[in-house]
Amino acid sequence: MKIVIVDYGMGNIKSITSALKYLGVKDIILSSNSDDIASADKLLLPGVGSFAKAMQNIEKLELDKILYNEVVVNKKPILGICLGMQLMGKSSTEDGFTNGLCFIDAEVNKLSVEKLKVPHVGFNQVIVSETSKLYTDLDNLSDFYFTHSYKMSSNKSINQAKCEYGEKFIVSYEFDNIAGVQFHPELSQTHGLKLLENFIKSF
Amino acid sequence: MLRKRIIFTLIYDNGSFNQSRNFRLQKVGNIRWLERNYKFKDIAFALDELVVLNASKKNKSIEDFAETLTKLVDDVFIPIAAGGGIRTLEDAELLFASGADKIVLNTVLFKDKSLVMELVSLYGAQSIVASIDYKRVANSLKVFIEDGTFELDMNLKEYISYIENLNIGEIYLNSIEKDGTGFGYDLETIKKISKDITTPLIIAGGAGNEEHLLSGLNLEGVNAVATANLFNFVGDGLPKAREHIINANINIAKWS
Repeated sequence: MKIVIVDYGMGNIKSITSALKYLGVKDIILSSNSDDIASADKLLLPGVGSFAKAMQNIEKLELDKILYNEVVVNKKPILGICLGMQLMGKSSTEDGFTNGLCFIDAEVNKLSVEKLKVPHVGFNQVIVSETSKLYTDLDNLSDFYFTHSYKMSSNKSINQAKCEYGEKFIVSYEFDNIAGVQFHPELSQTHGLKLLENFIKSF
Repeated sequence: MLRKRIIFTLIYDNGSFNQSRNFRLQKVGNIRWLERNYKFKDIAFALDELVVLNASKKNKSIEDFAETLTKLVDDVFIPIAAGGGIRTLEDAELLFASGADKIVLNTVLFKDKSLVMELVSLYGAQSIVASIDYKRVANSLKVFIEDGTFELDMNLKEYISYIENLNIGEIYLNSIEKDGTGFGYDLETIKKISKDITTPLIIAGGAGNEEHLLSGLNLEGVNAVATANLFNFVGDGLPKAREHIINANINIAKWS
């Protein structure tokens, strides 16, 4: 099993790397190189920080084209985490308006939570989608660790799981070979490790 | 529902872990001591987050601190926030690369606003925790920076609104007077200010037992309680405290 963590210069990858190692993945590389990405069995798109800055970096490295080819054309399994999940959507209104990778028909906007605090930070319970592969053997309302101020929404059916914080919003999607999670599985103890294992096994 | 959190804070000083009392440090043991007495791989279930602070007053080395941090966080799959002595972008990068999921800023919040803004724009607000140390001076709550050694000419309320304007992700509010006493949190002050704070709030300073943690978690506007008491929660102290808190029906994460 070879997993390439797509490197576009943003985000902490130590936790995710050690989670994958813990799960027994032998071959883990961090790379933005098209040959490396082509040779991977599965891809991980991590990331924290600004959507606009991330897309700038991605375009500069031509990762938009490389990923389109591997993910959309060649159907290579990919899991986006946090910002990585959002980047595969159509657009974000963080820092103006930025187009995303457009693999998933969904948009990213600021959380509208009225009197609640932003960022949404801490463990929250996920309302699991029943047809999901990511949550196999995980109970409905399992806790996962979140830390974000923007959320994803979509009119389409993308096998979404949701969570409630002021409003209900998408916290994961599974569409064909493409999956994304708003929370951090690598920081969510046994639940997160199980979810990563499910991605590795079932996608 | 969003859960409240229990956080354990480790105070590091030049290679050792310490019990702090009113910001005076007492060495307890090195990383081997810590691994023997706090098996984070096993007791992570009792915690929602780990904060690791470099409180070295002399020869503060961020490189040595980062090295210890890396060893500490291996196979611990909960969020780690680390800080103490971050003065440059490179310092922040080093801690992120060494296993920090978030960084904790204190002195630079006041001294280098442009660095703070740069860090927020690079890593996102949710990656930045603002640590605020305060103490009562002549009946007014005053804020201190530089490991509690330098008093600012701003009261706590003014400083919190200054901090919230920096658009950071969380506030870690620590009472210097309660620090390490085990007498309980400064509930009086927290009650007065927590309702007006719109940033997720972690309270620290004074917790010596599970009842103290509970009293903090029960306060409106408090999102997380932290304790740095190495003596009182040794062994299975943290798992037992969490059990007690779950039994008291506090809304915290449960693990299956």
